[in-house]
Amino acid sequence: MSTTKKTLLAVFAAAGVAGAAHADTLRVGMECTYAPFNFRTADGVLTGYDVDVAAGVAERIGIEVEYVCQQWDGMIPALLAERFDLIVASMSITEQRREVIDFSIPYRVSIGRFLGRSDREFNLFEDDGTPILENFEGLRIGVERATTYNNWIDDKLPDTNYLLYDGAEAMLLDLRNGRVDIAVTNPMKAYLDFLSQEEGAAFEFVSPALDSVEYFGTGVGIGLRKGQDELLEQINAALAEMIEDGTLTEYSHRYFPFAINPEEWGDVPSN
Amino acid sequence: MSFNFDLVWSSLPLIIQGLGMTLKLLFLSSLIGLFLALFILLLRISGRWYLMWPAMAYIYVFRGTPLLVQIFVIYHGLPQFDFIRESIFWPVLREPFGCAVLALSLNAGAYVSEIMRGGIIGVDKGVKEAAMALGLPRWQQFIYVTSPIAIRLALPAYSNEVVSMLKATALASTITMMEMTGVARTLVARTFAPYEIFISAALIYLALTYALQQVFAWIESHASRYVKKER
Repeated sequence: MSTTKKTLLAVFAAAGVAGAAHADTLRVGMECTYAPFNFRTADGVLTGYDVDVAAGVAERIGIEVEYVCQQWDGMIPALLAERFDLIVASMSITEQRREVIDFSIPYRVSIGRFLGRSDREFNLFEDDGTPILENFEGLRIGVERATTYNNWIDDKLPDTNYLLYDGAEAMLLDLRNGRVDIAVTNPMKAYLDFLSQEEGAAFEFVSPALDSVEYFGTGVGIGLRKGQDELLEQINAALAEMIEDGTLTEYSHRYFPFAINPEEWGDVPSN
Repeated sequence: MSFNFDLVWSSLPLIIQGLGMTLKLLFLSSLIGLFLALFILLLRISGRWYLMWPAMAYIYVFRGTPLLVQIFVIYHGLPQFDFIRESIFWPVLREPFGCAVLALSLNAGAYVSEIMRGGIIGVDKGVKEAAMALGLPRWQQFIYVTSPIAIRLALPAYSNEVVSMLKATALASTITMMEMTGVARTLVARTFAPYEIFISAALIYLALTYALQQVFAWIESHASRYVKKER
């Protein structure tokens, strides 16, 4: 069937069920700049792990999706203002966020790690993973605004000097330029975009994986407004199926040399 | 979604934490911008093409591009060059504060020099001729006759520019500065309540604008105290 016919049919179908509880199209909010989770390729096509997950879920519950690009720090306010219906944007399931929105079961692990120059000795963490506060003194830290990493630093390193960024790209650029000494972010992304690339060759992870559930949640989930239990159940069932039949692992391997879904998670290569 | 008035009030003192940084940005860039504008103005009215053209090019570039783009070019663009990172300017350009002040000053320099030129053009020709008839040298004509009148004429437009600058400091939040808008954006991220927090920030900006307007109204009336009131 041609696309035009499909669209026409969809229009008629929508007209027929006007006023029904569920629209056939759900709008999905994401940054569209967070490679390789949600980003545009050079020719403008939206792609990435989050996009695959959103499309996979939509296919399984029989709806169409439409993507809306939204800057990170306004993501939850935009969902609440009904600018879109779902957040599929690598958002970690934290208690603080659960007070305002609902989350699906996790579809990816959520952890953070610090990056720094490999020719410097930082010694920031004890073997058991607790930060050595005095070794953070005098260091300038880069962190993305309104992220789980931001909350972690506020609580664990309250007196440090940090700069708040609106996106990972600007932060990694400043790490390279020497505006910040260390930066904390998603290690999967840091590995793929930075450490394994030429511009990140002089850098390495300078901390163990930070993964306490209190800060980083149980993983990354799909966010939706509260009070949509039926939709939430459908999404969870679809995700459970995708975990079961290996779809998420397959999606992982489209972008990463390792799996990033909780069931298959090993670790990021340490470069 | 409900609007929470309490949050507007309770976030005011938090956003005021960024007030110092906002004022520092405004004050420093206005001051540097003023000197820069004076320098550009002198080039612009020198009557010599090799001085005028660079000044006109500068004004064209900084008035013809968005301030946000200028901030991004200075903050993200300049460090791409190794010679900049190794230069004596790096300690200033390394800091987001230095980059923000530089961008705001350069921008203000372009606008203010045009405002000053407008003032000079507005000075009545007869006054200049009178100064010439007295046999004053050109620099004395400029300092003692043209300038006082030009400054008075340019003041209303200049006060407008300072208010614009106050609002422009908010753009510094895009390069990690924690001035009032930066603080507000961080609060929004924590409370998920953009309306309340940004309205609170807007109230503080309004109060600042009011104060600036009062100061300039006083300066204007002071500068015009010998001018016959037009009715």
